[in-house]
Amino acid sequence: MLDRPSFAQTDDSQTEIDFARQIQPILAKRCFACHGPDEAEGGLRFTNRTEAFAEAESGAHAIVPGDVGASVLLSRITSDVEDEQMPPEGDRVSPEEIELLTRWIQQGAAWQQHWSFKPMQNPEPPTVQDEAWNQHPIDAFIYAATETAGLKPNGMADRTTLIRRAYFDLTGLPPTAEEVKRFNADPDPNAFAKVVDQLLESPHYGERWGRHWLDLVRYGETNSYERDGAKPNAWKYRDYVIKSFNDDKPYDQFLMEQLAGDELEEVTVESLTATGYYRLGIWDDEPADPLLARFDEMDDIIMTTGQAMLGLTINCARCHDHKIDPISQKDYYSFLALMADVTRWGQRGDQRSNNQIDVSTEELNQQYRDNDAAKRRLEGEIRKIEQSGIVKMSAPDQRATEGPKRDRNRILKEKLQDNLSPEDWKKYKDLEKQLADTLRQGKSLPQREMVMGLAKCKPKPDQTFVLFRGNPHSPSDPVDPAFPGIFESPAPEESSFTGTDKTAGRRRVLAEWITSADNRLTARVMANRVWQFHFGRGIVRSSNNFGKLGVPPTHPVLLDWLAQQLIASDWKLKDFHRMIMSSRTYQMSSEADPEGLATDPGNDLLWRFDPRRLSAEEVRDTILAVNGSLNRQTYGPSFYPALSREVLAGQSRPGSGWGNSSEEDKNRRSVYIHVKRSLLTPILTAFDFPDPDLTCEDRFVTLQPGQALALLNSTFVHEQAKRLASSVGGVEVDNQELIRRVIANVLSREATEAEVASGSELITTLQTADDLSRQRAVELYCLTVMNWNEFLFVD
Amino acid sequence: MANQKKRTGSFCGRTRREFLWQTGGGFGAAAMTSMLSDDGFFDGSATAAEDVYANPLAAKPPHFAPKAKSVIFLFMYGGPSHIDTFDQKPAMKGMDGKTVDVKTFGRGGHRTGGRIVEPRWEFDNYGECGKSVSTLFPNVAKHVDDIAFLHSMTADSPIHGSAMLMMNSGKVLSGSPALGSWVNYGLGSVNENLPGFVVMLDPSGGPISGAKNWSSGYMPATYQGTVFRSKGAPILDLERPKDISVDVQRRLLDSIQNANTEHLATRQGNSDLASRIASYELAYKMQSTAPEAVDLATEDAATLEMYGINNDRTRDFGTRCLMARRLVQRGVRFIQLYSGGSHNDANWDAHGDLEVNHNKHAGNTDLPIAALLADLKQRGMLDETLVVWGGEFGRQPTAEYAKGTGRDHNSYGFTMWMAGGGIKGGMSYGTTDELGSRAVENPLHVKNLHATVLHQMGLDPNRLSFFYSGLDQKLVGVEKVEPIHEIIA
Repeated sequence: MLDRPSFAQTDDSQTEIDFARQIQPILAKRCFACHGPDEAEGGLRFTNRTEAFAEAESGAHAIVPGDVGASVLLSRITSDVEDEQMPPEGDRVSPEEIELLTRWIQQGAAWQQHWSFKPMQNPEPPTVQDEAWNQHPIDAFIYAATETAGLKPNGMADRTTLIRRAYFDLTGLPPTAEEVKRFNADPDPNAFAKVVDQLLESPHYGERWGRHWLDLVRYGETNSYERDGAKPNAWKYRDYVIKSFNDDKPYDQFLMEQLAGDELEEVTVESLTATGYYRLGIWDDEPADPLLARFDEMDDIIMTTGQAMLGLTINCARCHDHKIDPISQKDYYSFLALMADVTRWGQRGDQRSNNQIDVSTEELNQQYRDNDAAKRRLEGEIRKIEQSGIVKMSAPDQRATEGPKRDRNRILKEKLQDNLSPEDWKKYKDLEKQLADTLRQGKSLPQREMVMGLAKCKPKPDQTFVLFRGNPHSPSDPVDPAFPGIFESPAPEESSFTGTDKTAGRRRVLAEWITSADNRLTARVMANRVWQFHFGRGIVRSSNNFGKLGVPPTHPVLLDWLAQQLIASDWKLKDFHRMIMSSRTYQMSSEADPEGLATDPGNDLLWRFDPRRLSAEEVRDTILAVNGSLNRQTYGPSFYPALSREVLAGQSRPGSGWGNSSEEDKNRRSVYIHVKRSLLTPILTAFDFPDPDLTCEDRFVTLQPGQALALLNSTFVHEQAKRLASSVGGVEVDNQELIRRVIANVLSREATEAEVASGSELITTLQTADDLSRQRAVELYCLTVMNWNEFLFVD
Repeated sequence: MANQKKRTGSFCGRTRREFLWQTGGGFGAAAMTSMLSDDGFFDGSATAAEDVYANPLAAKPPHFAPKAKSVIFLFMYGGPSHIDTFDQKPAMKGMDGKTVDVKTFGRGGHRTGGRIVEPRWEFDNYGECGKSVSTLFPNVAKHVDDIAFLHSMTADSPIHGSAMLMMNSGKVLSGSPALGSWVNYGLGSVNENLPGFVVMLDPSGGPISGAKNWSSGYMPATYQGTVFRSKGAPILDLERPKDISVDVQRRLLDSIQNANTEHLATRQGNSDLASRIASYELAYKMQSTAPEAVDLATEDAATLEMYGINNDRTRDFGTRCLMARRLVQRGVRFIQLYSGGSHNDANWDAHGDLEVNHNKHAGNTDLPIAALLADLKQRGMLDETLVVWGGEFGRQPTAEYAKGTGRDHNSYGFTMWMAGGGIKGGMSYGTTDELGSRAVENPLHVKNLHATVLHQMGLDPNRLSFFYSGLDQKLVGVEKVEPIHEIIA
């Protein structure tokens, strides 16, 4: 059983046509508008085998397996007669598509189930001729696939390349020149494994890999819309994610906590923080249609859960049955019913009760309760004495004490003493002092600890209905909680919902189903993601969409093997990383090979390691790291980098919602930057930081002039160039030594003689021909090196 | 084809297949070819790399022959009152203060009636078409024969936050690309030295939700709007630090490019590296072209006078209108100008004193807008430049408060207008009822307006799509939407 490259199949007329991959998309695109889920014109529908092969109203058959001549589908799409042509409007079916359809019918018109909806296989790795590529199962899979295309995978990358690749991959930060040197000199055959172990133990690992997850769950710390208000304690969810990666929390547990952290056997502060998952989305505080807004928010959660955890676009079935995948509208609303106890973020008047969970210790809560009780008792006694004096006052004065608090206080201040006995007055003053002490005590108590999450749910959720065309004002059939039909999992029994007075108990059932080892998608989707973040692309490139509109896997058997490995390692990721990174495939060189480029220019077969540009966070963090100013403190509240006045001018209230952080905090890693939806940090967006409103499976990698301008002209980069200059000894050091140090710090390697010569010439010319100070010339030299492609790309 | 060598994932991590989906399957190969830069700036550069820079903003062919090459969207943020400007309501004459039954929905919620605020300005008839326009816009009024008024506009929300998103991105939910991003994505920029989608803000501040209004949402940030300032360097980070001369910068750039060329020599087959080298040359050129594009020093005195740049009231908006004309001349596809910013009466949101508010904002913009139309026309550019005027909604016929003339928001019916770019002039399309409370005849949705803009630019609104989240996302949504054929010449 070999993984075959997809592209090698298309030209080979002997190869069997893959219905799901090659035919179904054509039918969907060209025919579904009239012969699809919504319409069956002429009694014909191409959504399932039975209806597609049935006799149409015309008496003819669109598809007759094995009989090209009798299949009216073909004669209609190729017809020259205008009245007969299909499709009647729009572009004609292309010759390539006609060819595929013809061959498919010739071959018997097999109507197979889509690969990812089939249960996972438990494949054995192949055995290949090359002994070196037979040592590691991944390598055997990769070698076998390249071999069928007549290619050979690249040899190993050199150690300098390899350690830089691994550092960025696992921590998002570069190695120091010293670390590279040590690794290069390490004679231990396990030298690389040691490096990997060390990186996996670094707290920076969670910062890098946690950020991948934050992209998927569209992590933002504000609500968007006019006020774009802050989400209190959102950062604790971000820390939860980072810490989960650092602790090597099993992935199934990670999902369980986020989906149902408030419904577990053992509910902890950590698991409650995880339910912040439901609170990350956008929220309109004054929606034009509140009911629609509620369903928009649920849709946002369904879209994220479906795509991030299951690789499935369930969201496409909100208004009608999914056009391509077998997901019905009923499936959508049954899925929604599983999360129906989730409340909205809040209301305009109360933006905390639903989303802020008090997780203070029992001791502290008791102190607060005692303090409250004391306060209430004292206030009661004080009021009693006040009233005893008030009844003796004139009518207008009595009336005034019933009005605004200010008036009451004025009257009491002026006249209470005169209307009380000396003993009562003394008692009164005494009580006032006690109250003041109590209030002071209350204020000095440690702050209650709050986390963002599901603070309030609907333990008895409203009945869920299928909504006609997705319109919440047009409910049709009632539905019960159930899993999408394609999984062939029985609907959960009502009795399995062990709800409480706080929650409906449905989300836990959903979480258990998603994380079960039998789930056809969860493990595949996560194994694919880990692969994607290591190699820059998934085996399934559309890693949020394993459906028919997704991109088919380049190595389907390897993917199942990886998914099984993930489950077998108890869903723990660190061992999974070790396994992947110990392969030759991971350690391969990224060099171009003419034959490889000619046969497989997209590198779908992985004959080489794909070089990549640094991510937005890596760019900023590395600039700080190489001049020694990176503040490596982990966890904690988000910080606000300095934004220029021009950037703030885009806001309706410039500067609103943007704080001022200490210089130290401003040097922290980018994952800790406050994510304000309407005011993203320009240096990050320039390098493709994703829009935080929607799940992002894979960031864009653009190369645009705005990036160049940011790295040539911004205040930030000039400030950092200055720091870099002083970190290598500044103007005191001679050019040659200076350049060696800059290259070592910035690129983690030794400078070449040519680089020393050209750098030295640049500094000298800037000083002499351009009349810049030595200080400035050195700074500008530092700036240039941070603009080199070598700095921004990893081989 | 040179780009066959490119690794398929090099642009935005999308595969070929997805790319075809994104372009609606309509012009796959052609689009991919045209993705390649062809203005030949590589030829003279110091870094002749073998690979061609695939600038994502390079010009792309439209779906069909376009009527318009550029769009200028004059965004009247806050929501101008249609019945006080272009949608005359004779039946309201003498009705001031009378209580009527009328359903309204604004920030104050749903109401079933209220006190009429009679329009506060007189109307006169203008042009050959005889269109009646209020005294708020005496100068724009002179151009009614070039304008198509859309009196039956409706939107999904009468609340600023969601309504702004709707007018700019077609959805009340944030996270979708702006109209300008769609145009930028669909057509690219014919001038690679300038951004394809430019936004110019009011000096009082940005609109609410700030950058969300020109975000590219789920598309690459390349397509987002670039904020141009009318003072100082127009673009963020465009200006070199003061002590760096052009020569110094060129020297730094040469040094960087030399290192990059060395680096590339051992890494053939990685077109990203070559692309990044090219992007530096482009950035370098932008530093001179962008300031020149918005430098009004070469404009003659008559032009400055015409746009009202010598007058305190009209200077700001006039400057931006003139900058817009200059950007159109340089091939910028989509320019959005904001009249009004910040909050309260700094924009058209006339909740308090309608007269003070609208006199202010109309007075600031009437002359410059008229000048822009006249200038485009006299230069023969109006035919190819689509000018759109309007806010995120209109205003109600009744008073918001017990006293005063303030009007609440109205998304049930309001007026926008279009001129140039293949739009019929001298016509009015659709109507509101006799109070202007809601659209009655030929109601239009924001989607129809968006569809018309795309259509005039040569893009089929029902075909221009971007594959995201399992769907071919479209600006106008999944249901087919027609452009407003009746106003298309």
